[in-house]
Amino acid sequence: MRFRRLLFLSLLMTAASFHGCHKAGAGPASQGPVGSYDTETDWTDSQKTIPLGYQEAQGKRIFYQYCVWCHADASPAGPSNRSNLTPMPALLNDGTVLNSQNDDYLQNLITLGGSAVGKSAMMPPYGKTLTPDEIRSVIAFTRTVAQPPYQPPVRPGSQYSPK
Amino acid sequence: MSAEEMGKVSDRLLRPLALCTIVFVGVLAISPIKDFRREWRQYKRSYVRYAQTRPDTKRLLADYRPDIDQIWIPGMNVVDRCTTCHLGVAEPSLAGASVPQPFRAHPQVPHKIREWGCTICHRGQGAATEVAEAHESTLAWEQPILPLKFIQSSCGSCHYADLPQTPQLTRGRQLLSELNCQGCHKLRGMERPAMLGPDLTSVGTKVSREWIYKWLKEPRTVVDRDGNTVANGYETEEEPRMPKFRLDETQLRALSAYLSMQRAHPVTPYKFDLHVVAAWSKNPELVSQGEVRFKQMFCSTCHSLAVTRAGETKLIGGDIGPELTKVGSKVSPDWLVAWLRDPQGYLPHTRMSRYGWSDEDLYKVTQYITTKLTDSDLLANVPQLGAPTEEEVDLGKRLFQEKGCASCHSIAGLNPQRDFGPDLSALGAKNASELEFGKAAIPHNLVSYIQAKLRDPVSVNPAARMPQYNWNQADLDAVTTALLSMKGAPATSALQNLVVPKKEAAFHPPGPFGELYERYKCYTCHKFNGFGGDVAPDLTYEGSRAQRQWIVDFLKTPQTLRPTLVLRMPQFNMSDKDAATLADYMSLALQHPDANPASVDAKEFTPARAALGKQLYEVKYQCQACHTIGGTGGYVGPNLNNAGTWLTAGWIEAWLRDPQALVPDTIEPHRQFTDEEIKSLTAYLLTLKAGTKPQKSAALRPSSSASSSAEGAGR
Repeated sequence: MRFRRLLFLSLLMTAASFHGCHKAGAGPASQGPVGSYDTETDWTDSQKTIPLGYQEAQGKRIFYQYCVWCHADASPAGPSNRSNLTPMPALLNDGTVLNSQNDDYLQNLITLGGSAVGKSAMMPPYGKTLTPDEIRSVIAFTRTVAQPPYQPPVRPGSQYSPK
Repeated sequence: MSAEEMGKVSDRLLRPLALCTIVFVGVLAISPIKDFRREWRQYKRSYVRYAQTRPDTKRLLADYRPDIDQIWIPGMNVVDRCTTCHLGVAEPSLAGASVPQPFRAHPQVPHKIREWGCTICHRGQGAATEVAEAHESTLAWEQPILPLKFIQSSCGSCHYADLPQTPQLTRGRQLLSELNCQGCHKLRGMERPAMLGPDLTSVGTKVSREWIYKWLKEPRTVVDRDGNTVANGYETEEEPRMPKFRLDETQLRALSAYLSMQRAHPVTPYKFDLHVVAAWSKNPELVSQGEVRFKQMFCSTCHSLAVTRAGETKLIGGDIGPELTKVGSKVSPDWLVAWLRDPQGYLPHTRMSRYGWSDEDLYKVTQYITTKLTDSDLLANVPQLGAPTEEEVDLGKRLFQEKGCASCHSIAGLNPQRDFGPDLSALGAKNASELEFGKAAIPHNLVSYIQAKLRDPVSVNPAARMPQYNWNQADLDAVTTALLSMKGAPATSALQNLVVPKKEAAFHPPGPFGELYERYKCYTCHKFNGFGGDVAPDLTYEGSRAQRQWIVDFLKTPQTLRPTLVLRMPQFNMSDKDAATLADYMSLALQHPDANPASVDAKEFTPARAALGKQLYEVKYQCQACHTIGGTGGYVGPNLNNAGTWLTAGWIEAWLRDPQALVPDTIEPHRQFTDEEIKSLTAYLLTLKAGTKPQKSAALRPSSSASSSAEGAGR
């Protein structure tokens, strides 16, 4: 009789511990985003806000300081300088123009200016004014607000991976 | 017992014994299985599986270890095991939303994660090894992870100075200071300024008892025509600085009675020459001329007026001074004249300049304000209050102190109240158990507490003395961020060494320049050596930039060099002597070491060079994209029509060599001109001398935030 009781008890313990294990190991619970560093209102739909990470938020700050004057239809000062220029600069969120250009090209364009890549000399070089990281963050911001949305290359960095 | 019996017993025991052994071994196995199935180990294994699906498996697994990973920084109280599961935080190739959490790389931030740990910025429990314990506020832990939208508060707990990377935190700090929170609360890094709310020593000479009653009852709608409870009566993004106190009828009557008796410095009515007034009064255009003068003097740079366009009423103008749409129904005409003549005589700490009025202008503008900027219905809903009784005044005086009014406003015979509200300099480090939630149905954590208290102080504490503010969500979040950043003195000496203190700046020059500087309150809008406002250009190096004669002309008749600006330098009606004193001091003292006018030889600027410079300007560098010359060009930078009489040659050269060396946040890009190109461009710009005034454009500037970035390049 005593053995039976022992047996029962130990079985119970086993079952209990496995149950505990099961509960604890319910698998990686998906943690939704707690918020974002900053947001930007979608230029084409004022009802929509686009969440921005740290890098894109820095890009937004630099964009609204340096680029907004010519690459948006309204500037913080009111009118935009865009219509004064020929050829007219691309809108920052214009995916039809920018989505087909890769990050390296845009980095060169901003760093060295329009004339260095065969574009308008009215686009001045910012390589001595902004750091490479700051320019990268502006590109990241562009990608985030692009309409139509920007699709990153399928596997970034794959060109260097072993074949 | 025989051997046979023994055998029987052992036979009988064999099966239970075997079973027990199996069970025992099974029970022993529980511990390793449990360990194997631990949450963090599952994450580790799933990282390995994930890494194997990627092309860079080898690199991703190079540093992989199957045990708990910990960042331990003893000096900073950091014991963070977050990297046990967040395996890819420092792996650049794992950036991007396509990588599943918790393996995604941390966005690039100025600090290295291995050197700082995680909880210093994100809060939460670093030592925990379970997801819920690490991230949430469970029974055993009180610091939940900080919601990402307040993350800038963590930057502010060490960086007491403002950072460009944290606009939300800067906005929050600015709001705390603008709304005079430091009147009642001790806040880290914020000094009590000399003036918080307006000085009420003589408020009885300025406004009526009825107006005070209405203002106290509903400060936000005091300018509203239709009885709407829209903030401030108009669509405005600014928070009203005067909050709403929860006052009942008796209290309103008492306080308005007490305040209307405050007449410490009686106003002596200014006597216009009666004959002159009689002549002016016959002028049918008087009021409209007053309006023109009001506009010409650019009162709108500091004061806003409600303007209705296309059925939408908006406040247009600056927010340095109060909005004036209905000020004619608010203040007494005698007070208005006295104020306009000498604002500093009524309020010693006012930011308003003392203008040099002619009697005619003063009379016209006053007539315009008292007849056009009015609303006969302003006080329609206020009961007839009559003369204040003695009881009302006594009660009013008591209430004034009980409600903490003396924290922000001064009154003759009352000592200013200090630390009326609780000390908030360590609020951001408080645990939930130290906070009083009352009956509020909100999650018990610090962030919810701060937001509930700010939104409605009574919701968490029915006896709260704190008045009611009116926030939009963005400002509420900004103020919450700023409050969360105030975590008191850093816990360890290692952390104390990390603090980046705020640089206190003050610029109060002595002598005749100092007197004029105070009279015209130049620092309300301009910055000098890091001190002052940011509405207008930084004048720290104005003496190097502008030619002396140009400064004199500009002070006498201010014009704008930027076609898109609407907030402009007011017309002070300055005397020749004042303008010369200011220009002399600026030319002598406000100099930049890199832009020495004496180092430039005027003979170098030959016509040939100027012609080459024109080519460079128009063709090679296409400066017309941003600058206007002669009516064509862009309007990002200042117009250069008059560059030859405005700028000094030394400044142009130094500017072209490296604009950011002169004005660090200017948006003009730093380009690599050769010395010859610099000389040629300078020669060209010096030939630009406009006989006519630069054209003005009526373009509007909706916000003042643009000014700081827009004006870097000059003005």
